[in-house]
Amino acid sequence: MFALYLAQAVNSGLALGAVYGLMALGFSLVYNSSRLINFAQGELLLLGGLVLYSLSQALELGPVTALLATGVFGFVLGHALYASTLGVMLGAQPLRQLMLTVAASLVWQGAAILVWGKNPLKLEQFVVFPPFRAGPLFLGGNTVTALVLSVASVAVLSAFLTLTRTGRAIRAVSMNALAARLQGVNPVRVQALSFALSGMLAALAAMAIGPQTMLRYDMGFGLGLKGFVAATLGGYSSLSRVFAGGLFLGVVEACLTLAFSADLKETLTYTILVALMMLAPLPQNLKQKV
Amino acid sequence: MGGELRRLAVFLGAVGALGLMLPNVHLLALNQHLFLALNVLALNFSLGLGGQASMATGAFCGLGAYASVILHSMWPQGTLVIVPAVAFTAYACGAAVSKPLEKLGEGFLAMATLCLCLIFVNLVLVFTPITGGSNGMMVSHHPMLPFIGELKGDRANFAALLALLALGGYLFAAVRSSRLGRALLACKDDALAASSCGIDRLSTRAVSFGIGGAFSALAGMVLANSTGFISPGQFDLGLSLKTLLFLVIGGPGKLTRPLIAVVVLESLIAWFHALGEATVLVHGLILAGALIAGYWRETGRLRLLPR
Repeated sequence: MFALYLAQAVNSGLALGAVYGLMALGFSLVYNSSRLINFAQGELLLLGGLVLYSLSQALELGPVTALLATGVFGFVLGHALYASTLGVMLGAQPLRQLMLTVAASLVWQGAAILVWGKNPLKLEQFVVFPPFRAGPLFLGGNTVTALVLSVASVAVLSAFLTLTRTGRAIRAVSMNALAARLQGVNPVRVQALSFALSGMLAALAAMAIGPQTMLRYDMGFGLGLKGFVAATLGGYSSLSRVFAGGLFLGVVEACLTLAFSADLKETLTYTILVALMMLAPLPQNLKQKV
Repeated sequence: MGGELRRLAVFLGAVGALGLMLPNVHLLALNQHLFLALNVLALNFSLGLGGQASMATGAFCGLGAYASVILHSMWPQGTLVIVPAVAFTAYACGAAVSKPLEKLGEGFLAMATLCLCLIFVNLVLVFTPITGGSNGMMVSHHPMLPFIGELKGDRANFAALLALLALGGYLFAAVRSSRLGRALLACKDDALAASSCGIDRLSTRAVSFGIGGAFSALAGMVLANSTGFISPGQFDLGLSLKTLLFLVIGGPGKLTRPLIAVVVLESLIAWFHALGEATVLVHGLILAGALIAGYWRETGRLRLLPR
């Protein structure tokens, strides 16, 4: 009986963990390029999902067109977020920039309420994979889809950052913005691109979570926060570790829900985060402002 | 110190005069703005003086409110002991939390304290038999003060909020011009240089963080007394975010400007509540506009705005 419960916890934990992982990747991309904690990351997921919902209502979307539309709209939304937050306050104090992302999150949530209302909307599953079973381990169709989407996103992002000139520029700015600037890289362009890529990842996360939990106007902040927790667990530096942080958080949360109540689960999750930040702070090079 | 206190006195005088003229229904709204202003002043101790961005305002405020309501229900005559004891407990909690978190940068400290706020709300939900959980708690006994009697009604709470703002403002100005204040400003400007000069950063910042926590707890006590009902929703992230947002808009370290920003912007936001579903959007636009205008004023792009 216990094994069955555990298998169920792993199944739901991995489905949610894949979404946390994608959000965490977006968080760390933005943080590494601009040293900014983006409070509006969750709203990128929300609007990405809602735009996809509206598109699916108006047009007949296949898996490929849905993926393309999600990517393109996520990219545009991420760029729009950059242009309306960090882009207008490049020289401002970090706290003012951070607060502007909070205000942007309110604006975007308000726009979502105006256009789509406050009722939850169910996003259809565009990319369908069959359930997977191996011994006691069982992964439902939604979980497999979320995992495939997220792992493929990590692989593509990793290849982009390693193999392309623009990707290497992003990594250079993450490591040392001043040295990258001396090598001819424009850090401002890199920051804008990081926001756009994080928008793309958030929209893909919406595609994974929309069919599971439905899309609601107030879901963004909580998911964004979980992305931050996952990114901190992963240490912000390596893509695979940050993504693994998301998966780990999802499974731990599911197990805590199984063992305790949902409220206590949240308490324990945030306690772990605070303890982690206190005991294992970020490396000194990540604390410096660009 | 004198000039700032004069400006604070003018502001409190103007708000006091406004409060005397307003009917009770509008006074309740003004009390809500002053409650937020008191929280902003409390946060100014940690951010404006010590340079520590905290989002634990909701937790401290809730601690004050819940502790006050629970203790008053057990000992209705004990206001003179309960209020200082709760404020001191909040101070001690703030100081204890500040020490291990001191090494985190602004953004990470904000996130860590935000987690503390979430933990508090979830604990309130978990301990339902004591706190009432999501259903909240009714305030069964109002504080009793000697010579004044029961602190009840909007006018009495308005007076209490003004008195706390005056006390907090005076304390802020006094701390800033003291040896402790200079040590805090040194920690804020350059932590490494401050340590090199022999300043004990952990202890110094713990004091400002603790004082901020204590004032937030006092604000929570007045809120509970004013509304007659408390629930976890009153002390959630929204309160912490709003407090930090208004302080950043008003300018951390300034005494009167953040308080004016709260009263003016909150009144403006409340006026737009009639817009229904567009409220959140307008709310966000007002705050974003204030942040961007503040940045442009600092960089000289908006020469028409006062510097």
